[in-house]
Amino acid sequence: MRLSLVVHVCGLITRVFGLMFLAPLAVALFYGEYRDALGFLATAVTTSAIGYAMRMAGGRDAEEAIERMRRVEGLAIVSLSWLLIAGFAAIPYVWAGLSPINAMFEAMSGLTTTGATVFRDFSHYGRAVFFWRSMTQWLGGMGVIALFVAVLPRLAIGGREIFFAEASGPDDEKVSPQIRRTASLLWRVYAGLTLAETIALRLAGFSWYDAVCHAFTTLSAAGFSPNAQSIAGYQNPAAEWVIIVFMFLAGANFALQYRALAQRDFRIFSRDEELRAYTGVTVLATLALMYILAGSMTASDNLRTSLFQVLSILTTTGYASVDFETWNQQAKAVLLGLMFIGGCAGSAGGGPKVVRHLLLAKFTMQELRRMLHPRAILPVKLGGRVVQNSVLQGVIVFFLFYLLTFAVCSIIVILMGADILTGISAAAATLGNVGPGFGQVGPMGHFADLHPVSRVVLTLAMWIGRLEVITVLVILRPEAWREGRWLSGTRASA
Amino acid sequence: MHIVIVGGGEVGSALARALAPDHEVFVIDHDATVADRFTALDVDFIQGSGTSEDVLARADVKNADFFLACTGLDEVNIVACAIANQVSSPETICLVSRADFLGSASDAGLAQFGINRVLWPEAQLAVDIEQVVTAPGAIDAEVLAGGVVRLLEYKLEASSPLVAAPVGSLHLPKGSLIVAVKRAGKLFVPRGATQLVAGDKIILMGTPEAMAEVETLVRPGANRGRQRVTIIGGGDVGLQVATRLEKAGNVDVRIVERGEERGALLAARLTRTLVLNGDGTDLEFLESEDVGQSDVLVCVIDNDERNLLASLLGRQLGVPKIVTRVSRPGNLRLFERVGIDVALSARGAAVASILHQISGGTSSLLAVLEHGEARVLELTVSPDFVPRQLKGIGTPEDVIVAAILRGDHAIVPRGDDRIDPGDRILVFCTRAAAARVLAYFGGTGA
Repeated sequence: MRLSLVVHVCGLITRVFGLMFLAPLAVALFYGEYRDALGFLATAVTTSAIGYAMRMAGGRDAEEAIERMRRVEGLAIVSLSWLLIAGFAAIPYVWAGLSPINAMFEAMSGLTTTGATVFRDFSHYGRAVFFWRSMTQWLGGMGVIALFVAVLPRLAIGGREIFFAEASGPDDEKVSPQIRRTASLLWRVYAGLTLAETIALRLAGFSWYDAVCHAFTTLSAAGFSPNAQSIAGYQNPAAEWVIIVFMFLAGANFALQYRALAQRDFRIFSRDEELRAYTGVTVLATLALMYILAGSMTASDNLRTSLFQVLSILTTTGYASVDFETWNQQAKAVLLGLMFIGGCAGSAGGGPKVVRHLLLAKFTMQELRRMLHPRAILPVKLGGRVVQNSVLQGVIVFFLFYLLTFAVCSIIVILMGADILTGISAAAATLGNVGPGFGQVGPMGHFADLHPVSRVVLTLAMWIGRLEVITVLVILRPEAWREGRWLSGTRASA
Repeated sequence: MHIVIVGGGEVGSALARALAPDHEVFVIDHDATVADRFTALDVDFIQGSGTSEDVLARADVKNADFFLACTGLDEVNIVACAIANQVSSPETICLVSRADFLGSASDAGLAQFGINRVLWPEAQLAVDIEQVVTAPGAIDAEVLAGGVVRLLEYKLEASSPLVAAPVGSLHLPKGSLIVAVKRAGKLFVPRGATQLVAGDKIILMGTPEAMAEVETLVRPGANRGRQRVTIIGGGDVGLQVATRLEKAGNVDVRIVERGEERGALLAARLTRTLVLNGDGTDLEFLESEDVGQSDVLVCVIDNDERNLLASLLGRQLGVPKIVTRVSRPGNLRLFERVGIDVALSARGAAVASILHQISGGTSSLLAVLEHGEARVLELTVSPDFVPRQLKGIGTPEDVIVAAILRGDHAIVPRGDDRIDPGDRILVFCTRAAAARVLAYFGGTGA
């Protein structure tokens, strides 16, 4: 691994990320929150300056080496820059009065589109801070790296490795042979949908501010709300329906949506196996929840609330249109199960992803069939195409590590003093980038009362979950670093 | 006539043998070792590539009437036809073995390559096998004239109601007709007084609806549930048969392929078929997969010896119906003699079809049955023909009018149906009688 290259590219990304603080700066100035404005300005300057310094530290060699980026370097860049960016994104929260651990938790929760919060009292913070909180989620939803691959010409070729290291799902899918164009098209779909939702929410009666903040956090399947009571705080059924529609889209594959739009052929949706499974899970879980909740509210409220909550957890958004902490154990079990499914590959949703479950189920069925016909050739197929064995192995390894990480995190949180329901749901909700869990960390609660060690562990769980476990775990292997050199090998020896 | 054949393989040599007595035949092949096959024949063998203009010039393509490209390589065949068409404009016939180029050929695509006719023997074979497989009990089956006429062949058992009375007084479903009987190796067109006996093979033709009724009549109480089909050999034909059977539904298909890589490809292409990696001639393997429980065994390995072995093993295991591909037409009779129900030869049918086009030319050959002993022709009745009722026609011996095509449906004629000049008719006849058919109806090809 060429460390100079890693530092250089991380610097490149950090420097541009500094510009992102200008948006909340503008909001702060607009609402006259001058103290916060100063914080955003300072952060913008610091971030860009450090980014610039890192870029320069990499030197000319690194600049030339970008086009020959290796896989391990790509993984390192993605893993580290996510940590780094979260660190910078946390600065405004520290400025607003949070402790460093809490600020880092909130920033990571934002960027990884988790939506778990450590804010105890929402009235302490200004509108610009909440705007920034929503905006980090929007940036993280489609992928910070994908955004920079789209806008930084320097990453036009080397961006390939880091794009796929960040993208979600087991398969590399593109809408254009060029990685840069792929990233830019996907971002355009994403931004277009965000704009559409903003307008729809405004029409449903939200203020422009609330509409933008919620559109940001719906499309990214993230779930922060400037309202302490989340969506329940608005009591606006029309807005809930709007959010239901856009949550569903946020949890579906954006590349698929682009293709359907570009080709004006919406049958693409019905042909896609993953989308069919995703829709099936949504319908089944909603029916189950409606059955469980029947009698506690009118039928139309029940339908809307159940569908809303199912999509909110399945797509890992994490909004609450009611306080589901007050629901019975059966209803909670349905939601907890959904946390382990997640959205579609190539969507903004987190979790293990529907397609991985689909592949695992098919693989299991084929193995059972193999017992009956030991000599049969039984490939696993998705959408009529054979799935390579390496991909299947990846899926199995993913699930192993995912469950292992989940177990380790929940045990730590419980050992640090939380009750079992809180511990398990907090680990599942952060690793799956869902947001709220149950018990102490329920939809109207917060994570601030957990032990500091728990909060650090859960911050890491969000990071690991967003980058789909393997990306991060590879970098944690000493082997990846043992051959670390500052410069590229050929030049150093020459 | 002046005929150029590119490719001296099985098809090429069979064509050369049949055409040499009456025509001026040139055979081109780059492989000198195949020349031996042609030394005994009265043809001119030219060693060289069929895609080389020089070589083609030596075969005097300029004056050729027919150009037959039948090498084993699709690309060579297509390019050879294209070049021949540039030099002059012979009637070009091109054999293909894969779907890649001309499988879904549009006329425009063919014209671009200067190809007048594409023959895809393997695809035709796959269609034939599918027909046989999906007609339970039948030992041969064909669809003709775009599906409006169906042909089935059965072996009569003593329990069949058809052996009870002479043909003339049997109550066959309306729209069906017994066109031939094969008894003791001899094929003939039955007359009203013919009495069928157990052991006869009979060929019936008729509309699809009528033939569905015939199936229940000939084999009362036959199993009509899901069919289990095992295909041995996953080559081009095996793959196509499996693909077609998958679409047919109501059939559980298994395919046995020896090569692992080929097996993976089959598994990727097929959706409902179970692909088994094993040797179809390995008795232990066949037993472990319960192949004996299949309703039909289809052996389509590209090797006659192994095919025969697999078929006989299937018979041994108790499979009721066995369909086997035969590569060397000479082996056809032998295969049936040792107990295989249906032996089919792709190349045999292709050769017959080409020969028919070159010699007769004016009628279309729709099917060749019983290893060339019988055929079904489609022709348009000449304008000079005096219209009359069928019973007054007095068709030549061993010729029977099986259907009159009017619009997009077929009429299976009775004695009082009338044939008019300009009618398109399907005629069933023995090989010997084929020439008489044209003389009688003065027809032209459709």
